[in-house]
Amino acid sequence: MPPPGQALDDLQHPPRVLLVDDDEVNLLLTAAALRERGFDVTETNNGSQALDQLSSHAPDVVVLDALMPGLDGFETCSLLRATPGFESLPVLMLTGLDDEASINRAYQAGATDFFVKSSQWSLLEGRLRYLLRSSRTRQELERSKAKLARAQDLARMGSFEWRRGVAHGFQISAEGLRVFGRGPQDRLDFVGVMRMVPVDDRHVFLRVLRDVIARNSVLITDLPLTLPDGRQRVVHIEAEPEFNEQGAVNGYTGILQDVTDRRQAEDRIRQLAHFDALTGLPNRRQLIWRVERAIESARRGGHEVGLLLIDLDRFKVINDTLGHAAGDELLVEVGCRLRSCVRHSDQIMEGMLEGGMSNRSHRGLEAVGRLGGDEFVALLPEVTDERDAERVAQRVLDALREPIFVGGQECFVTASVGIALYPRDGQTMADLLRNSDVAMYAVKSQGRNASAVYSPQLAGHGKQKLELESALHKALERNEIVLHYQPKIDVRGARMVGAEALMRWQRGNTLVPPADFIPLAEETGLIVPLSEWALKEAARQAKLWSLQFGFSDSIAVNLPSRLFERTDLVEHIHQCVSAYGVPHRSIQLEITENNLMKDLQNVIPSLHRLNEVGVEISIDDFGTGYSSLAYLTTLPISEVKVDRTFVRDLGITPQSSAVVTAIIALARALGLRVIAEGVETLRQMEVLHRLGCSLMQGFLFSKPLPADELERWIAQTVLPRKAPWITQADASVDLARGQR
Amino acid sequence: MTVPPSTQLLDPEAILRLRELDPTGENKLLARVVNAFSNSVDRLLPELALARAAAVPDLTVIRNVTHTLKSSSASLGALALSARCTHIEAMARDGRLDGLPEQLDAMLHDIQQVRVALAALL
Repeated sequence: MPPPGQALDDLQHPPRVLLVDDDEVNLLLTAAALRERGFDVTETNNGSQALDQLSSHAPDVVVLDALMPGLDGFETCSLLRATPGFESLPVLMLTGLDDEASINRAYQAGATDFFVKSSQWSLLEGRLRYLLRSSRTRQELERSKAKLARAQDLARMGSFEWRRGVAHGFQISAEGLRVFGRGPQDRLDFVGVMRMVPVDDRHVFLRVLRDVIARNSVLITDLPLTLPDGRQRVVHIEAEPEFNEQGAVNGYTGILQDVTDRRQAEDRIRQLAHFDALTGLPNRRQLIWRVERAIESARRGGHEVGLLLIDLDRFKVINDTLGHAAGDELLVEVGCRLRSCVRHSDQIMEGMLEGGMSNRSHRGLEAVGRLGGDEFVALLPEVTDERDAERVAQRVLDALREPIFVGGQECFVTASVGIALYPRDGQTMADLLRNSDVAMYAVKSQGRNASAVYSPQLAGHGKQKLELESALHKALERNEIVLHYQPKIDVRGARMVGAEALMRWQRGNTLVPPADFIPLAEETGLIVPLSEWALKEAARQAKLWSLQFGFSDSIAVNLPSRLFERTDLVEHIHQCVSAYGVPHRSIQLEITENNLMKDLQNVIPSLHRLNEVGVEISIDDFGTGYSSLAYLTTLPISEVKVDRTFVRDLGITPQSSAVVTAIIALARALGLRVIAEGVETLRQMEVLHRLGCSLMQGFLFSKPLPADELERWIAQTVLPRKAPWITQADASVDLARGQR
Repeated sequence: MTVPPSTQLLDPEAILRLRELDPTGENKLLARVVNAFSNSVDRLLPELALARAAAVPDLTVIRNVTHTLKSSSASLGALALSARCTHIEAMARDGRLDGLPEQLDAMLHDIQQVRVALAALL
């Protein structure tokens, strides 16, 4: 706001004065005096003319002679005040010095001020300027009041005041009445407001109010209420004490605001921040909060807390086969069932745990939440021992036993549950979660659909695995992965007809057996780069051997089915063989029967393309899977490998030779090569040969060897024909009057 | 109340203030004011004569006329006339008829003198 002196200068025009006086002389002189002082004067010598001129001249101030013939000043002023828009126009009434009665009448008629006629014009000017200034201030005040009212209206806000010890001392502004769903004319006292508040909240509020008043403190609270039309609203109230001159509180003034929308938005935000949008269960953040509170409470109460980590088994398969929508549907249903396994409570009273929390109220923390993906957590804020937690875990497993109907079909879902207890298995949420995870993984590795309680031994195992995994990641770039080669022998000529490449991990001084890292590589996906490397390495070795001793057979590489699913497999093999200038047939691919069957539809296209470019396919572990014979007739395969378990029992159980005989007959009928794996004794060799299988592989001939050792083996054993199996083989060849 | 004797019909200070309102004289303010006074007197005096001529003198008219003349004459510096008007206005307001005709006659006399003095200013 400008300083007072400036207010007049803010007027866009010289101040307009309507001067009314029946005395011509005075009229003339006053007008002249005011004009000289910068006023814009309109003169008129009677009241009715003055009233007519109000609208057209829009004066800023009216100077009115009190005594006039006809309509006198008082009547003129009354009529002026009754005219809409002129209720607060400043009116200065001119009176005589000795005319006290006129002065009183002037005020009664609504005059703003009176002025005793004088030819001291500067006095009149000063009075007029003062009137204009206060009028302007008043207008600004009115405007600001109107603006405030409008703003309060928009903000659904109002004000109220309470005078202590005064009848009807509780007053609500018109805007405030609107907040309460009332019109500006309605009467609403304190009792009326309280009637809208639900009984429980009313008791709480009145208690708070008594306390606030007793302590002369500030009142800040939210009050739920039901308006006369039935709408539920939340009104925010803030009030401050007012003090009298003696410093005693004589009442309160405050504002009230309808914050229903804000509260709803806040509730929604809280919901989103603390609850999982899909299942509506507490989310990770909320779980952490609850677990931390539960631990705190357990520390004080000296009891134990149970944390169950629940991970669905093979959820990925469901997601992949039925789609994400069905997967989500399934998670919702699982969430629902898990919830029923504990005394789940969604809402936690704010401030429940601060201060006066009762002994049992930590039980309200009990809940099932979703950590993310297919991982859920059940928090048991107080358990007697691990058997307590195991019972809940069993309830969880039982709850999932019934099939879940999603995506148009029944799904059987199982879970693996890991249990960790505070304080035994961890002091913090992070510890408990990590250890329940260890226990959960132990369940997974032991066949899933069960629960396990954490133990440090489990952790040791898990830790080893973790180290192994991280080392395996680096193994390739450190050249720690090598290929060993086991020769494939045709006993009829006692010669090598190919080799199978087998991956080995030279980790420092120890050679890690394939069984210890291939499953891990499969699990982590590392098998893909490993296999790609193996293909390239095999191609390189084929080239080396062709140069060294005219090797022209193929090296077989084992591939997991997921590599066959890659559309770029043929291209990749093409690059490998091209890089070393060897034909495509130098690489043979082995896939286990189980792998093949599992992804048959996805693998078949690759098999055809590979076959077209000359890469032969061999079925590994043949006879162990559940393959239908029908597919064998249609697949572009070249070779089946009789599983070592049948070979091992050859000559011991008659069933084994029956199976081997059948496989050989089948293969022969389909024009496939048959090769026997795991041949360790001369007797096995002899039986196989007699049954019609001359291609073999096994320790009898050679274990898998590094490339250079295999070269030595050829040079020192095969070529000099110095091994017992060679003599025997030669003999059986003679016996069979063989071709080569 | 006695009318103070006045040696001067027009208060020089009042005239000075009048002139100040129109220092260069371009607005002919003084002439207009004198003219306005003259007009006013010409309008009021017949009203006053009528009021006096009635069987019972009309005190309201007398009061209004003297009230107006009181402030007009004061504005022009005719302080003696203004004072007499004030006196008569009060008598009329209070209904004191005693000596009223004499006062009114004296007032008419004063007015004539003031008119002459004003004419001299121009």
